[in-house]
Amino acid sequence: MKRYVRLYLFFLQFSFSKALEFRIDFFFRIAMDIMYYIVNIALFKILLLHTPFIAGWSDQQMMVFVGCYLLVDAINMTVFSTNMWWLPFYINRGELDYYLIRPVSPLFFLSLREFSANSFINLIIAGCFFFYSLFNYSQDWSLLSLIGLIILLINGSLIYYCIQMLMILPVFWTQSARGFIDLFYTLGLAMERPDRIFKGWLRILFTIFLPFALIASFPARVFLEGADFSTIFHLILVSTGLWLIVLYVWKMGLKNYSSASS
Amino acid sequence: MRWWRFVVASEIRKILAFRADFWVTFIGQTCIQIFIARSLWLAIFESSGKTMMEGYTIETMTLYYLIVPIGSKMLTGENMGFLSREIYEGTFNRYLLYPLSFFHYKTITFLTYSAFYGLQLALAFIGYQLLFGQFTLNEFIHLGYGLLFFMIASYTYCNLSLFIELISIWADNIWSLMVMARFLCFFFGGAYIPLSFFPGALQAVIHFTPFPYLISLPINAMMGKLHPIEMITGFFILLGWSFIFSWLSRRLWDKGQYAYSGVGI
Repeated sequence: MKRYVRLYLFFLQFSFSKALEFRIDFFFRIAMDIMYYIVNIALFKILLLHTPFIAGWSDQQMMVFVGCYLLVDAINMTVFSTNMWWLPFYINRGELDYYLIRPVSPLFFLSLREFSANSFINLIIAGCFFFYSLFNYSQDWSLLSLIGLIILLINGSLIYYCIQMLMILPVFWTQSARGFIDLFYTLGLAMERPDRIFKGWLRILFTIFLPFALIASFPARVFLEGADFSTIFHLILVSTGLWLIVLYVWKMGLKNYSSASS
Repeated sequence: MRWWRFVVASEIRKILAFRADFWVTFIGQTCIQIFIARSLWLAIFESSGKTMMEGYTIETMTLYYLIVPIGSKMLTGENMGFLSREIYEGTFNRYLLYPLSFFHYKTITFLTYSAFYGLQLALAFIGYQLLFGQFTLNEFIHLGYGLLFFMIASYTYCNLSLFIELISIWADNIWSLMVMARFLCFFFGGAYIPLSFFPGALQAVIHFTPFPYLISLPINAMMGKLHPIEMITGFFILLGWSFIFSWLSRRLWDKGQYAYSGVGI
């Protein structure tokens, strides 16, 4: 464990010096993410001009929810996104070999090697909006519920990572350049909507099989409406199950990996 | 001038190279976007207590969000970022050796993708109208107008993309600029929510930009929501933007080809 922590600190050091090498890009990326945040906030603000509630949530509650998913997105952009971008190329070009022969877990190495230093600035900005939306929320909340929310959002980030991996790993079999990552980005829209809008089979899909609703909407709901046993149990069960599926598919993928480029 | 046929044939082969991947992504993306958008709008219609909002019922809103994902793909044509990557890697050199102009090659490539997505859009539109609405001569004409507007919008977006990507001759990475342009086009173009939901003052301002003409105009033409005068005005404004971006990207190329090192970074 200690070895992995030390290794991750090396990753951080390397990523920061690499990011500062391309300074214009560094600032462009910060601007890009700020624009993404503005668009998302504006989208719900415009919708709320036409209706007092969306799926039972008022303007203030919606902003807490938006703060939650922007924070999860920023965590993923900072920690995982660059690694996830390159993974299909490594598999497809047969470059995974270099990672398989190293004396550390290849899944750890490939998932965490690149830390996006520029997105880290955006993580701070997203964090500021998240806390702004919480302090702007007129109902009382306790420090304990805030800690609970942060834990659930970290769990949400891991769910996001797991689903993303499940969309990339088919590359082992399809040999395509990007797997189903474009489909993943479209599905990501489900994370940006309150879970109560989904009814019937769509609700089953987004809360169990592709649990995007568990990433930010469930945590926001637990914070805004209070925790209940079934929601927490659901979160634990689906998160654990998803992680086990990722490990299984990863192992199967490695068995199928031919080292040949496509 | 048969060269363009070779370019088109080669691009179609590329599109169809990974068929399973292509169809899963296409059908998946389209269906997911419709279902998610419909769910959101059902919740909004329900909480507002209205059956029509800003000229849209839930049925016309569903049609709107059927056109948006495929229309957006048609607009953005070939995946962005390829040209800048070629400049960084130095593989851009090949365009200087090709027996045809770099601009013609890139435009044909881009529009081949757009035409392909246009075909999918036509099939999806006809299928939807046959299943849930009606497909008469009127809808057929609207479909034709919509596709025509989307093709011109796609040509405009192609030139906008070329303009941004050519900046990579000087800047170290322009990927984020491309994403920003895309955000602006989609948000102010009406891909996320129809422009009629925007506050009046904002609507007035964004009509001075090219964005509403890239997405909202073709969709409204396809849905038969445009008055002939609006259609003609929109057509000429779109052509004007197309000319401006085409001129800008060519000027940038004129300067850029002398600054291009050919080595990559």
